[in-house]
Amino acid sequence: MSNHSQMISRDERIAAMLLHYEVERFYYDEAALLDAHRYDEWLALFTDDAHYFMPIRRTRTQREMDKEFTKPGEMAFFNDDKILLAGRVAKLKTGRSWAEDPPSRTRHLITNVRIVKDDGRTLEVESNFHVYRTRLNSEETSWIGLRRDLLRRTDGSFQIADRKIYLEQTVLLSRNLSNFF
Amino acid sequence: MSFDTRQIDDLVSLERGEVDRRIYTDPAIFELEMERIFARSWLFLCHESQIAEPGDFFQAVMGRDNVLVVRQKDGSIKAMLNTCAHRGNAVCRAEEGNAKSFLCTYHGWSYGIDGRLNGVPGHNTFYKGNLDKSRHGLAPVAQVANYRGFIFGTHDAAAPPLEEFLGATGRLGLDTIALRGDMEVVPGIQKFVIECNWKIAVDNLFDWYHPQITHASAFQPSVLPSTNRLENAPVEKIDLSGVNMQSGAGLDLPGNGIIGTKFDQVVVLGEYGHAIGGPTTSSTGYFEFDPSWRENPRTKTALGPVGCKVGGHPNIFPTTWATVTQPQISLRIPRDPTHTEIWWFTFVDRNMPREMRDFMVTMACRIFGPAGVLEQDDGENWAQATAQTRGIASRRIKHLLNMGIGRGKIIKEGGLARIESLTSEYGQLWTYYSWAQWMKGLSWEELKQATTPGDCI
Repeated sequence: MSNHSQMISRDERIAAMLLHYEVERFYYDEAALLDAHRYDEWLALFTDDAHYFMPIRRTRTQREMDKEFTKPGEMAFFNDDKILLAGRVAKLKTGRSWAEDPPSRTRHLITNVRIVKDDGRTLEVESNFHVYRTRLNSEETSWIGLRRDLLRRTDGSFQIADRKIYLEQTVLLSRNLSNFF
Repeated sequence: MSFDTRQIDDLVSLERGEVDRRIYTDPAIFELEMERIFARSWLFLCHESQIAEPGDFFQAVMGRDNVLVVRQKDGSIKAMLNTCAHRGNAVCRAEEGNAKSFLCTYHGWSYGIDGRLNGVPGHNTFYKGNLDKSRHGLAPVAQVANYRGFIFGTHDAAAPPLEEFLGATGRLGLDTIALRGDMEVVPGIQKFVIECNWKIAVDNLFDWYHPQITHASAFQPSVLPSTNRLENAPVEKIDLSGVNMQSGAGLDLPGNGIIGTKFDQVVVLGEYGHAIGGPTTSSTGYFEFDPSWRENPRTKTALGPVGCKVGGHPNIFPTTWATVTQPQISLRIPRDPTHTEIWWFTFVDRNMPREMRDFMVTMACRIFGPAGVLEQDDGENWAQATAQTRGIASRRIKHLLNMGIGRGKIIKEGGLARIESLTSEYGQLWTYYSWAQWMKGLSWEELKQATTPGDCI
């Protein structure tokens, strides 16, 4: 144990654990909604001004690691506001979204949750994910990466105000991204 | 699997509009494509704006050769094979970036950004100075040329000059991007893999029969922003009688998609297999976010009277698609018979207001690419169409591209050959026909003649 953790009081540590528990529970519930294809409820977890962004990653030399990921304003795989997220959900529900009919089977595993910052109103949270997808008879996709979220406190829970998704792939090794992260 | 090249004419029938499905999975045909198409044709490498400063490089693909496209100190652009002259290792393992030199991490041979071999560890001790460094630089790509900012390369030193290869059709295709302004590529090339044959991905770009079905889920206001043109356009639904879902229910389609029978099209056919296909700029199916560039009188002159009418998708044979909705280039890179990498390059005008630029970038992410509301549904069709050609019985069935066959009168005007019609499959069929000519290994002169459009398809 570091000196730091010995110095903070037992009450503070319990409060931190509770917060961690609430955040984890929020993520597990979110993952359950996605895996059950309950997209309307999933969408409600986002604030109206939310931004959902998956940058493009590039193999670059160590000295150019600052340019590894594209930034907002540059090209990305996802660069969505809530209106488009809602559009994607509407698209999935048309019965004509062929890439998801028959639906993919997904399992979202969320781990390594870390509350990086908390200003009382908004939390900055990092988590690792493994999204496993199988499709049709023999197609298998694994996406592993990091999510960096801004979670806004709401009545007793959270809403996602910003989500950045960093995949561990440069050339995307799948034919599409018809699922959510 | 062996393949008798004398059978090539049997693979594509321009008269019947049929293609033999073996061309999508046969490894021997793929090997021949590498040799007779991808080792000869001019291929798009990158745009000059991607490598603005000396030492900036972008790693491109020509066939299965990895190529470094590098901006030189004098502002010129060189392209060289990314393989050490000593024992073959790649001298650069980054996709893009800036380099002062290229070091082979195997034995330390070091090359300048111009490809010259500068340093060899132990040159005096081990080689006793007997290695002629001037003979062992990085191998240059046989020819490199720049057409209005688009950098192309060919492995064939005997290939005609780029502008001649492009011809009027290919130049018009690239002009539909270049003439929009002072164009630059937005950072971030989307790259992803689809388990399909590259030709299935290429032929789809001319296909204006599929959007209304494949992309039915995307054509609703909450997904794709409507353009005024579409809102005001009289929508006349195509005949869907007898078209049923698996459940037996009739297929209903949203009203504001690319749909309707008043869908005037123009298909331009060019030498070497280039083509442009899709709606005319005055048709209800024409869909472009910012068509204002077409109003500029200088643009109109540059496009010419036929070019002004053309609102469809150009393909620079074999694999370079220029989009219309907004300026993008999509490369379809063959990796093996059943794997194709898609690379998206997105263009904006440097002088565009910030707001417009942001809009264009947002729309580019939204429409195409793996998460694009259009393209995410394409891959499954292409993968399944490819997969089914593995079956011996399924493979015996011909791929059909006979929509409009025999009725495509070719009009030659302003240096361009075109067919005016409703939705058709002329663009795809021309691509396959030209593919067969390339596969015969003709001389450049014979190839040009064989791919000069006749009077009718």
